[in-house]
Amino acid sequence: MWLPLATGVYMAVEQMPALPEAAQSIGAQERKKTLWKRIREGRVAYLMLMPTFIFLLIFMYYPALLGLYRSLFKWSAGLQGKFIGIDNFVRLFTKDKVFLNSLDNMLQLAAWYVVSTVGVSLFIAILIHRLRRGRTQYTFRLLMILPVVIPSIVPLMLWKFIYDFKVGPLNVFLTWAGLETWTRPWLADPNVALYAVMLRNFPWVDGVAILILLAGLQAIPYEIVESAMIDGAGEMRRFWSIELPLIAGQIKLISVLTIMWGVQEFTAVFAMTQGGPINSTMVPGMWMYFNAFSVGKMGYASSIGVVLFLITLVLTVVNMKYITTEEY
Amino acid sequence: MSVDTSDPKPISAVSAGQQVAIFKRGDWWRTVVLSLFWLGAILPMVMAFFISFKTLSQFARQPFILTSPLHWENYDLAWQVVQQFILNSLIISSVTVIGVLLCASLSAYAFGILDFPGRHILFYMVLTLMMVPSALTLIPSFVLVKDLRLLNTYWAMILPWIASGQVFAMFILRTFFESLPKELFDAARIDGASEWQSYWRIALPLSKSMLGVAAILNILGTWNNLIWPFLTVTRQDLLPLTPGLWTYQTANFTRYGLMMAGILIGSIPLVILFIFTSRWFVAGLTSGAIKV
Repeated sequence: MWLPLATGVYMAVEQMPALPEAAQSIGAQERKKTLWKRIREGRVAYLMLMPTFIFLLIFMYYPALLGLYRSLFKWSAGLQGKFIGIDNFVRLFTKDKVFLNSLDNMLQLAAWYVVSTVGVSLFIAILIHRLRRGRTQYTFRLLMILPVVIPSIVPLMLWKFIYDFKVGPLNVFLTWAGLETWTRPWLADPNVALYAVMLRNFPWVDGVAILILLAGLQAIPYEIVESAMIDGAGEMRRFWSIELPLIAGQIKLISVLTIMWGVQEFTAVFAMTQGGPINSTMVPGMWMYFNAFSVGKMGYASSIGVVLFLITLVLTVVNMKYITTEEY
Repeated sequence: MSVDTSDPKPISAVSAGQQVAIFKRGDWWRTVVLSLFWLGAILPMVMAFFISFKTLSQFARQPFILTSPLHWENYDLAWQVVQQFILNSLIISSVTVIGVLLCASLSAYAFGILDFPGRHILFYMVLTLMMVPSALTLIPSFVLVKDLRLLNTYWAMILPWIASGQVFAMFILRTFFESLPKELFDAARIDGASEWQSYWRIALPLSKSMLGVAAILNILGTWNNLIWPFLTVTRQDLLPLTPGLWTYQTANFTRYGLMMAGILIGSIPLVILFIFTSRWFVAGLTSGAIKV
């Protein structure tokens, strides 16, 4: 499931151009008032904003700015930092093989998350949408969201068990099927660990994505579909020529959300492998955590945080300029 | 002149009817495919359920299929540990969600209904926060919480989570407040109501369902957070559910029955929440797609 934060990034993009319209309705007499007078009249508003901004200043702005600032320091926990300019970043991109490798892993994971989420969810959403009986449709919609309410740590733990070398069902199954040579310690073998993390949660049912796509499908006016059917369009034609173009917006939304989430996410790696074995499943977030809290290189770890921030920023800008459409 | 009251049969009716019949016939295989997907998705939970009744020797003999006798005591033992995590999570998530709703609805009212100098600048100040990933703030937040001597308290989670959670809730609520008819608030003002009264008596009661959606999203977020509580709380008795279950699994990884029982118990609270608020759940989970 995506973080609300990631959803937030997307919404923020959507909202950028839309100025609150009340601002334009300030009457002529209002404008004549001095600024001071208007500020005094607005004091209720400032009071209402106060709790929000107190929290934001202390727990959001301050840490965010400090994170940017501290990335320029050689800084260990509890010690006075030493300013070293952009050395941390230079080292990240020239000397730190683990970090470069973690970027590669991150890209692979994010790419797979997008493909599997969009592919499987689209297939399921179309199937549910084509169900004729309303009750069946409703039931499946409900069933598909149900897994969302299981705490997200639970599937991670269960899949860690499924991949277990000795008792894990996967190896037991392979042995039973006569494929003993295929069995391996899935999460402890550096050659396959990343793919084991990637392919967890088979068959990749994502209730949220399904709901979003289904909402898009159901918003398609029935007349369009009907007229196409009268013209003799079959199931496949109906999908490619009508439904797919009309839910392109939802598919883009899901892709953007999933990429943003895939860049930052390291809970799965944290819970299943901690980045191991031999850093084969390392992702930037996990590497940052390790540097900061296991070896105490806080400044260096902050610079990884800044890199992640910049990636998010670039993705947001690209999305805002080239991808976001207004059609849904 | 007699009027033909029977509906004229459109030419397409027959073919459309046949189409419908074909569709209904297609329902069975769709049902089968969808059921397979769903079963695949919940298979790990079914496995956990079967294993949760086993002792170690039962597991060694027949790991994945239910065998009698059922050992309910696994649940008893797991409950002894997990109940504390659930209680902690309930406290942390509910205090957080109350704080979030209060702050967010107040600021949403100010941004959505009121007009004051600096409104745009302040609004964009909040908006830019949405692009800050948690990775950037993780380390400084930890240092901050440590300096405030909040480590190993509920506040280490509650305060930062109110700060980060209110941003998203504020956006949902602001959009909703803006959609309310302006006349409502004008009328209240004419009748001499203060802005605080309009907020409390008009805006809030009208936005109950939106508050519900914001609350659900916030609870899901805090309930599922693993890294932050794991970082800021080292005392076992203060851990919320997600990191609690994780440490529980690490400690009991080879006591399979016990481990699975704990995992299943830990899954129940959100399911109960879902049963009572499924409408808000659905609205909340798709709210990313609603154009806000």
